[in-house]
Amino acid sequence: MFKVIVGHSVEIESDAAISEVLDQCKTQLDGQRPQASILLAAIDFDHALVLSRIQSAFPEMAVIGGTTYGEISSAMGFREDSLSLMMFCSDTIQIKAGLGRDLSSENAAATAEEAIASLGLSDLADAKICITIPDGIAEGTESALRHLQKHLPKGLPIVGGRAGDQFEFEQTFQFFQGEVIQNGLPILVFCGDLKVSHGVASGWQPLSRKAVITKCDSPVVYEIDHQPATKFYQHYLGDLPISGEYPLAIFEKEHDCFYLRASNHWDLEAGSILFAGEIPDQASVQITYASCDHIVSATQDSIEQALERYPGKKPAAALLFSCAARRWLLGHRTKEEYELGQQLIETDIPIFGFYTYGEIGPLETGGDTRYHQETLVTVLIGTE
Amino acid sequence: MLEAEASQRLQALEQENQRLRKKLTRSEQKIERWHRSRQQAESLLSTTIQELQTSQANLKLRSQELEQALADVKSMQARLLVAEKMSSLGVLVAGIAHEINNPVSFIYGNIDHMEAYISELMTLISVYKRCYPTPSDAIQMCEEEIDLEFLLEDLPKTMQSMRIGAERIERIVLSLRTFSRMDEADHKTVDIHTGLESTLIILSHRLKETNQRPAIQVTKDYGDLPPVACYAGQINQVFMNVLVNAIDALEEANTPDAEISISTNYLAEQVSVAIADNGPGIPEAIKGKIFDPFFTTKPVGKGTGMGMAISYQIVVDRHNGQFLCDSAVGKGTRFTICLPLNDQNQNNQN
Repeated sequence: MFKVIVGHSVEIESDAAISEVLDQCKTQLDGQRPQASILLAAIDFDHALVLSRIQSAFPEMAVIGGTTYGEISSAMGFREDSLSLMMFCSDTIQIKAGLGRDLSSENAAATAEEAIASLGLSDLADAKICITIPDGIAEGTESALRHLQKHLPKGLPIVGGRAGDQFEFEQTFQFFQGEVIQNGLPILVFCGDLKVSHGVASGWQPLSRKAVITKCDSPVVYEIDHQPATKFYQHYLGDLPISGEYPLAIFEKEHDCFYLRASNHWDLEAGSILFAGEIPDQASVQITYASCDHIVSATQDSIEQALERYPGKKPAAALLFSCAARRWLLGHRTKEEYELGQQLIETDIPIFGFYTYGEIGPLETGGDTRYHQETLVTVLIGTE
Repeated sequence: MLEAEASQRLQALEQENQRLRKKLTRSEQKIERWHRSRQQAESLLSTTIQELQTSQANLKLRSQELEQALADVKSMQARLLVAEKMSSLGVLVAGIAHEINNPVSFIYGNIDHMEAYISELMTLISVYKRCYPTPSDAIQMCEEEIDLEFLLEDLPKTMQSMRIGAERIERIVLSLRTFSRMDEADHKTVDIHTGLESTLIILSHRLKETNQRPAIQVTKDYGDLPPVACYAGQINQVFMNVLVNAIDALEEANTPDAEISISTNYLAEQVSVAIADNGPGIPEAIKGKIFDPFFTTKPVGKGTGMGMAISYQIVVDRHNGQFLCDSAVGKGTRFTICLPLNDQNQNNQN
């Protein structure tokens, strides 16, 4: 048995919101005891209060989660300023939560190790998937992901998204059991006979001329084609400040495939740009662009990829981790992402997700996990 | 009760108000961001379009350059082929001239001796006749049989005719050698008139009267020319090309009183050779193309379309000279070849 349910509330008061969510969940649980849960919340809630209410209601249930830039669930579709909770019940699948603290570039390895150790699992051989919602501002996510991958069975997909804060990029919070933390790396690991699949697509297309990163101290890029990095952007974007909707496509070595790296910060005096993700030196780059149609089309690609790759007959839940820049660009069309999910995924399968500050998931089945931007990562889990 | 309801209602309104204010603030922020993003998108797209246009223009230019280069290579290839052919022909002509020269020398060299021997034999016959005025029957019969009287009269004429024929062969062989100039492949000082004359001798069979037309008259007005430093074999090839074209044009148009006039002149350190015909002339529409490689008005298989192109290259590129065409429909065509006496280019060309 593997049962997944969602509760979702748009109540503005924290107490009222969590009450509504817990009521919805209890009704669906029908007396079953949930093993673990993921909590997604807008930045303005009293998160400590919400967590204590959850713990009081389900003292044995593991909780991880984080703040977001918009929540998605099959209960209410796409919402902002809302509170959403997904619960997992199973007598065959073991689900454990862990937390790594003090995430930073320097401390990433220790953070990842701490997260794995706190799971309390002596043997990880049966682990099938790891869901994580790391801090959305702290550096070191990619390094931490590499270390997590080392400790987990080879080819195990690590999926998720970095926490958000209503597009303010000031502070994000992570949840672990009853705690609200910053610079955290909460993880949820599923062990047992679980079937998983994932899909990844962005919709952004390279548009500018191709150039080469000639001076870089990742994640800061100083020079592109031996000119200040800001000059390359200014040539195309004019004097307006850099923003996340125009990420760089990074082509490593001679590869035709690219991944995206976005930035919201530049230093005009130094001519440098701080990207929200690792940047390899000497990589070929192009400024990219996406229309709303491109983004929606990629949403379909991501979901269809996951559906095609799903090894069983019917998944028990679908998770969507979509980039905050997608939501920001889609504007009133944001709901189309969720609607596409509803159309493509069977209606009785619960959907749950959020708009993130960086998406996490492998590109291909069995491949190492990657850190993405401007992307939708779709994850399907189930036992059937 | 009413108070409690009112208070609850007030609380709900306050919450709604709070929610709406939050929404308003966010909407304002969103509009500002949207505006900025739209400006960025416009800038990105217009810069990219500009770059694409520049790149398209560059590609077009590059493509034109490549097309030109391809045409040049083709033209070069054709010239090489023709040059190779001409070079082989030159070797062949020189070889034949050399081979004919030897046996002709035997004939021509022995004609004097032969004439002396025959004259002596005729003297002997006349002495015999004087000493034996009445020959025997057998001698008389033989005299009648060989028609001795006619033989003695015709023999010197036959010898004279053989001498003229041998002399003509010798002259033709010399002309062939002059034309091919295999021994003068390098820049050399030559007499332009000698080159013109040898070319005319080679073409003499084309100038003669045929069943279809009378002979083509050649009039010459040679000036006083200094020796000219040039690639003589190549310059002769130019004379040949121009003369053959003139003859072809006169023949094709069946021009009455067909005439080719050749005049040479020396002025301002420059030698000029003008070859004019009174043929049909060149139509204006194709005048600009006559120096183009592969351009020909001749029937398929007759002309290669390379003659004038090669001549132009020889005069202009190889000798720093001028190759001019003056023609009008119904008024004939005149080609003028101008060669500078001090060709600065000579050492750089080969």
